[in-house]
Formats: sequence, C-alpha cells, structure tokens
Amino acid sequence: MSSALRSATLPLVSLVLVAAVLLTQLLNGGGTYEPLRPPDACTERPVTSRADGIDGLTERLVLLGVADAACTLGVSREALTLELAQSAEVYDVEVEALRDGLLSAVRRMDDDGTLPPASELVDEALDQAELNGILEFAIRALPDGVIDAALKTDDVLTRTVEELDVRSLLGNLDNPADLDRQVEAAITEAVKDSLLDRLRNLV
Amino acid sequence: MTVALVLADSAVVTLALPDILRELDTSVGQVAWVLISFNLVLALGAVPAARLLARGWAAGSSAVGIALFAGASAWCAVAGSIDVLIAARCLQAVGGALAVVGCLELLVRLYDERRGVAVWATAGVVGTATGPFAGGLMTELISWQSIFVVQVPFAVLAVPAALVVRDAVPVGVETGRGEGSGSEAPGRPGPGPVRPERPDVRPNITLALLSAALTAALFLLVLLLVEGWSRSPGVAALTVSVVPIAAIAAGPLARLLQPSEEVEVAVGCFLIAGGLVGLAIPPSSDLAWTIAPQALVGLGLGLTVDRLTARAVQLRRPRAEHAGWTIGARHAGVVVGLAVLTPVFTADLQDAQVPAQEAITALVLDAPLQPEDKISVAQALGGALAGEQGQVPDLGPAFDRVEVEPTERAAVERLERDLDDQLERAATRAFRDSFLAGAGFALLALLVVVLPGRRRTT
Repeated sequence: MSSALRSATLPLVSLVLVAAVLLTQLLNGGGTYEPLRPPDACTERPVTSRADGIDGLTERLVLLGVADAACTLGVSREALTLELAQSAEVYDVEVEALRDGLLSAVRRMDDDGTLPPASELVDEALDQAELNGILEFAIRALPDGVIDAALKTDDVLTRTVEELDVRSLLGNLDNPADLDRQVEAAITEAVKDSLLDRLRNLV
Repeated sequence: MTVALVLADSAVVTLALPDILRELDTSVGQVAWVLISFNLVLALGAVPAARLLARGWAAGSSAVGIALFAGASAWCAVAGSIDVLIAARCLQAVGGALAVVGCLELLVRLYDERRGVAVWATAGVVGTATGPFAGGLMTELISWQSIFVVQVPFAVLAVPAALVVRDAVPVGVETGRGEGSGSEAPGRPGPGPVRPERPDVRPNITLALLSAALTAALFLLVLLLVEGWSRSPGVAALTVSVVPIAAIAAGPLARLLQPSEEVEVAVGCFLIAGGLVGLAIPPSSDLAWTIAPQALVGLGLGLTVDRLTARAVQLRRPRAEHAGWTIGARHAGVVVGLAVLTPVFTADLQDAQVPAQEAITALVLDAPLQPEDKISVAQALGGALAGEQGQVPDLGPAFDRVEVEPTERAAVERLERDLDDQLERAATRAFRDSFLAGAGFALLALLVVVLPGRRRTT
C-alpha cells in the first residue's frame, strides 16, 4: 500500500463511519426527540370526554374555556393550566379571560350543536340535588318538551358562568367538595333565574 | 494493573453518585466533588510526585504511593459522610499520583522504554474506559462501597511487586536517554546526566482537550442513562462497555491501515467528536441508539490517548516527570470537562422542566380518562413534580397512589408510559448541549493536532 493511500484510508473510513452513524440517527428522527410542544391555544382542536351527562359537559366546557382564555392571554392551554394550578395569586386579567373563555365555549358548543337539551340533564341533576321528594317526582314527570321549552341549556350555562365567582373557584381547586358546592349554587341560581325570566316573558 | 486501577478511579464512581447522594444525604453539588476532587488532586499532584520520584527523595515512592492508594480506598469504603469521602478521595489521588508515575519506571525496567511506555499508556486507556463500566456493575451487584473495597487487595498485592522491581534496579531516572531501554534514538546522546527537557505541549494539550471530551462521553452518558432514562446502574454499565470494547478494536484497525501517528490521532479526535454528536441526537431512548456513537468514541479513544501519551513521554527525560505532565493534562482536562459541562447540563435540565411539565399537562388534559381520574392523576403528579426540582422525577410512586376503576387502569398505565416518554425526551434534550460541547472539545483537540506547529531548532 502506498504511503499516500495509507494516509488517506483511515480518514476516509472514519468519515464514512461518522457520516453513516449521524445520517442513521437523523433519518430516524434524531435531533427531534424532544418533549411534545403544546399546540397554539388559538388553533381549534377537538375536545372529547370519556364522561357522559353533566360531568362530560363540564369537562368539555372547561377545556374549551381554558383554551380560549389561553388564546386571549397569548399562552398555551397547558401553560395557563399550570399557572392557575401552581400560582398562589390569580390576576384579574386571568379571571376575566377565563370567564370570557367559558362564555365563548358555551356559544361555540351551542353553535356546533354539541350542547345537550336540558331534558337530557334533568335526571342526573335531580339525583345530585337534595329536593323535596314530591317536587322531584313532579319534575321527573314533566315531558321532555316542556322541560326543553322552559330551560335552554345555553341560557342556563351562560347564567351559571356569569354567576360564578371565578377567583374564589380557582382558589378552591384543591378542595373538590367546596368546588362542587360553589358550582352547584351557581347552577341552582342560574336555573332559578332562567325560569323566572321565562315566566316573566310568558306574563 | 495499578495504573489501570488508579486511572479507572477517575470515573469509577460516576454510576455510584446517585447512591452516594442518597446514602450520605448530601447535595448534587457536593457529590460532584467525589469525582472532581480525585481528578483535581491527581492533575496537580502528578508532576510533583514525578519530581519526588526522580530526585530519589522518597525511597520506594511508588510502593508507598500504592500503599497510600490502598489505604485511602479502604477509607473511602467506610466513609460515613460526604466530607470524609472527599478527603479520602484526595488522599487516594495523592497515592495514585505517586503510584502511576512510579509504575512507568517499573514497567520500563521490566520491558524496555518503548514497550514499557506503551504498556503504561495502554493500561491508562483501559482504566479510563472501563472505570464507569466496572463501577456501575459493582454498584448494581453489591454497593458503591464495594467499588473501593475491591481495589484494596489489588493495590496491596502490587506493593511487594513494586518493591521487587525496585530492589533489582534503583530508581534513578535522571540518566541518559535510552537508559534501560536498549532503544536509543539515532543521534541522541547516550547514558549520562542530561538536562531536563520541557514538556511536549501539543500532545499534552490534545490529551487535556480529549479528556474533557471523554468526560462528556463517559460521565454524561451514564448520567443520562441512569437519571434521564431511568436505567439501573448495571444496565448502564453494560451499555457503556461498548467504549472499552471499541477502544480495544482500534489497535487492530490502526495496525491494518498503518496510518502515520498524526493521521491516527487526528482521526481519533474526529471519531470522538462524531460519536459525541451522535450521542447528542438519539432518535429515542432506546439503548441501541447509543451503541454506534459510543463505538465511534471508543475507536477514537483507542487511536488517540495511548499514542499521545507515548509521544509526550517516550525518549523524554526525566521520563517520570513527562509522564506526570500527561497525567496532569488528562486529569486537568477531566476537571475542566466537569467544570464546563456540569453547569451546562444542570441549567439545561432546569430549563427542560417547563416544556416537560407542559407536555405532561397536555397529555393529562387529553387523556381518555374520566374527569375525576384526571384530577386524581394531576394531584398525584403535582406532588411528584414539585418535589424533584432540578432532577428528573420518578412518576412511578405518584401513579401507584392513583386509585381508579379497573376499567380505567389500562388507560392510566398508557398515560404513565406516555409521561415517562416525555420525561425521557426532556432529559435527552437537556443533555444535548453538553454532548455537543464535548464534541467541541474533541474538535479543538483535532485543531491542535492539524495546525502546523513551530519547528524546533537545535
């Protein structure tokens, strides 16, 4: 083997080896093995829930509402969720963005027809509510058409969101019992207001 | 064996650091000094140890050094606090410095100059490359203390062996070139007192830069495997065994292709740089993706370190002092590597927390679970993530605490796997810059090799 060839062989072999290794790594996704990047909160994405009824509806509303609020605040849905869960202080701008986000979520679900009619939620709501037995029986006996005519889901939800003390709600994230109590009170108030409005309109 | 044992100690405890951290109840910053202290003292002590040996001020220096190393190893094994362990590691390095430079003289007496230096340099490469592997295996199979215990009998046996050689020929290294070697260089003066030569700067700087690069390969890779990818020390040890195996394979490759010394060293630097870039960009946390890059690093190690060491030591007087310079350069390189790379990856690990937490949040929010189960998982994870600031959290215990319906169990297990994958991705990303910085050290070494040097005039 000539001296020049001998000098060139090992560098060539090493070049081939390094290129082969790096190309194999890159072609198989090397350099992109990084944590998932949360998508832009302003991009619409499908929101589903494993739960049915009120729980499923609440979950979808909250997910859409948080995404909308994050879009308004210019952060990802995940960053806002972490901020709200970890930070001791909740800013006014966050409270407002969340309220607006939840209202926007109600409108969006109403527009795309994914809000269930009130009659679909009544039985579950009555199971959770502590009502007088006769009153509960009477409500259950009402035909679905009457319930749907009396209560519009979007109206009840909008009133609920407006009724909610979002700041206090965020302060109670670690206390599910308190959270339930606050939401339940807001829903009850919203149903009452919605019915009263309906009656006023009838009169 | 003694040379390999001492130089293996440079990185032998790498895989044991998490266990030491827990058992001695210390901090990450302090536990790093178990590595840094040994390398720093060895770097600073090698040349003075060689001068001591050369001037004959300490009869039986090498035997004393080996004995000191053995005693300090035993002290390391029984250390009950991090301060004691660091002090024992410093003493180990002092003994190690005397032992390593002394062993070079003994090997030259046993063989000849060329072969003695070659054996000494090769032993150093083997020790450096196998240190993390041996330490990881011992930690996994027995305990971190066993790493030090097992060194004691080897070192103790080496003491009489050293004394036997010393008895045969007194250690008088301040004699002429080729003394005891039978391989005088043409045109070089014969036996007799000579003036000490200045250290050969270029191979020593190259050695220092390569050692800094190899620190990335050996120290960071085992950290990534154990801390980032949650592999056991034993599995990590087996994985990094690719480096010594490839280093051994480099010899036959070089003999087959017969390149010039400069070409061999330059190619070695390039291979180490390429391997480190490969380690920086694995396509997944599958261990198989580390094998080829490690093989490149191992080949590079095998082509460079013993060549450079031999060039810096062979036919230079006082030989022990030049050996001291190479040891000093190598271990100073390790210290520089640790000093530069540790803050880089620590900061990157800290920076990786936000994207990792966001990725975890996204997966939990979109998980196909009942809302109340998502809340349970989120609460359990919140505790796990908050308690592991600056380290990669172990989500297993958090998921063990989550109680869900049996029908949800499969979805929860899939979520746990997905979240672990996100953590591994975050850790891999966090180590990327450090591996690339290591590759930068190797490329700097390549630059030192290929830049035209000043010709010496006599």
